[in-house]
Amino acid sequence: MRSVRKYGTVLRISLENAFAYRSTAVGGLLFYSLFIFVFFNLWRAIYQGGEVAGYSLTQMVWYLCITELIVFACRSSVFAQMNEDVKSGNISYQLNRPYHYVLYQFFNALGGMTFNLFLYGALAIVLGLVMVGPIPGFRLHNLPFILLSGVLGMVINFFLLMTLGLTAFRLEENTAFYFLYQKLVFMLGMFIPVEFLPPWLQGIARWLPFSYVAWAPGRLFVAFSWDFFWQVIPVQLAWAGVAVSLAFVMYNFGIRGLQAHGG
Amino acid sequence: MGALKDLGKTLRLIGLYFKVNLASAMEYRGSFWLQAFGMALSNGSFVFFWWIAFQQIGGSIGGYDFKDVMFIWAVTSSAFGAANIFFANMNGITRIIINGELDTFLLQPKDVLISLLCAKTSLGAWGDLGYGVILMALTQGPSKMAWGMFIAGVIVGGLLMTAVAVTAHSLTFYFGDAALIGGMVQEFVLNFSLYPVGIYRGFVRVLMYTVIPAFFMVHLPLKLVRDFSWSGLIALLGVCIVYCSFAYWFFYRGLKKYESGNLVITRI
Repeated sequence: MRSVRKYGTVLRISLENAFAYRSTAVGGLLFYSLFIFVFFNLWRAIYQGGEVAGYSLTQMVWYLCITELIVFACRSSVFAQMNEDVKSGNISYQLNRPYHYVLYQFFNALGGMTFNLFLYGALAIVLGLVMVGPIPGFRLHNLPFILLSGVLGMVINFFLLMTLGLTAFRLEENTAFYFLYQKLVFMLGMFIPVEFLPPWLQGIARWLPFSYVAWAPGRLFVAFSWDFFWQVIPVQLAWAGVAVSLAFVMYNFGIRGLQAHGG
Repeated sequence: MGALKDLGKTLRLIGLYFKVNLASAMEYRGSFWLQAFGMALSNGSFVFFWWIAFQQIGGSIGGYDFKDVMFIWAVTSSAFGAANIFFANMNGITRIIINGELDTFLLQPKDVLISLLCAKTSLGAWGDLGYGVILMALTQGPSKMAWGMFIAGVIVGGLLMTAVAVTAHSLTFYFGDAALIGGMVQEFVLNFSLYPVGIYRGFVRVLMYTVIPAFFMVHLPLKLVRDFSWSGLIALLGVCIVYCSFAYWFFYRGLKKYESGNLVITRI
């Protein structure tokens, strides 16, 4: 119980921080709007008529609003923070504090991510409605299930980024991993739905975690079906489990080799 | 004659800064190559996006085919890289003004704006520059016109990107912190340059020809590759000279409003 209260306090403080830095939020909203506007124009030009890979223009624009929402909401400095803590040695100051480092980082980022989810979510709805109107056949009562998929996507993303950040324990320079990971998430789901990929690549993408960050919730939002829901949720749960475990393993492995010298 | 002499002096100063910055970057070779490689990889992933997009629809998007899109990506990437290799401080002008770090540059016996812009380089920018060249080689072949316009686009585009950033960040002298505007303007420049001009309509088109002159950075060079005209080339160079002169004037006009914070810092 005390543990729950402890991490609850960390979450509350990070949420208060998110509310305090309003100018950062305004900047983010502007960038989000710009991206959606550019891609709306691009997809409008691509869709000269009919559907592409089963998506109508309306679905495609809403798909982008949702996938960008997840990526923007997921934005946290976890990779940079891990790198900084490990390379500067700050992590040694956190070892004797009454919390687990990995859980602290997660709850510390959760406040900002929750704040972003609601903030960008409101903007996504406004932009989607203004640009293409409502999605035909959308049912509000499906929203909690879509939200569950979105949250799982955010968990997968956060802990995979944390794992990559923690490679700093063993590698001096690990930024290339970050670039690679980011682009895989972008290209296997955020910018392009998996259905747009060539069949051979679709097969590979459906086995990898990257598509389950943005594609799964995006697809559920624009074309909800229980078949698809039961198809992706177990995979998302499995990848979330793998990502969390990897972060803990990487932390425990790294901390074993840590040497602190006063100061 | 005097103007040419001044231009020669300015180019020599930029060259000297470049040499010093490059030597400093080479002290950390591993980091240099990794950042350059990371940036090239990051850009390269977008080729995949366009390949998928053109596979899905065939034909053209906004009046551009795959080869055209690769040309504007190559020019934008290399122009952005060149601008950030030579003038990396362009995105830090607001921070430098607000922190009072401009004093250091005011004391130097050379042009303040040039010294300020050239005082920093970006390692990752080499990746952007190299990526554009590789993309050109892979998608445009040996066409002399394409390569000529690529070089013209990189020089004009790089200068215009810098001029736009200088203008936006100089607003700090007039209205206070313009970091957000500076960041937004850069995003606008990139997004208007990286996508076919035909996808934009109305007011955005007007912006692309005026405040954010993305049309002149990449789309006009592409037009000249397809159908060269001397008037087009003169327009390209004319817009570059006018915009850069305006940015220079706007910065110095704003500089008169600058008040020193008496910050003591050391530049090594």
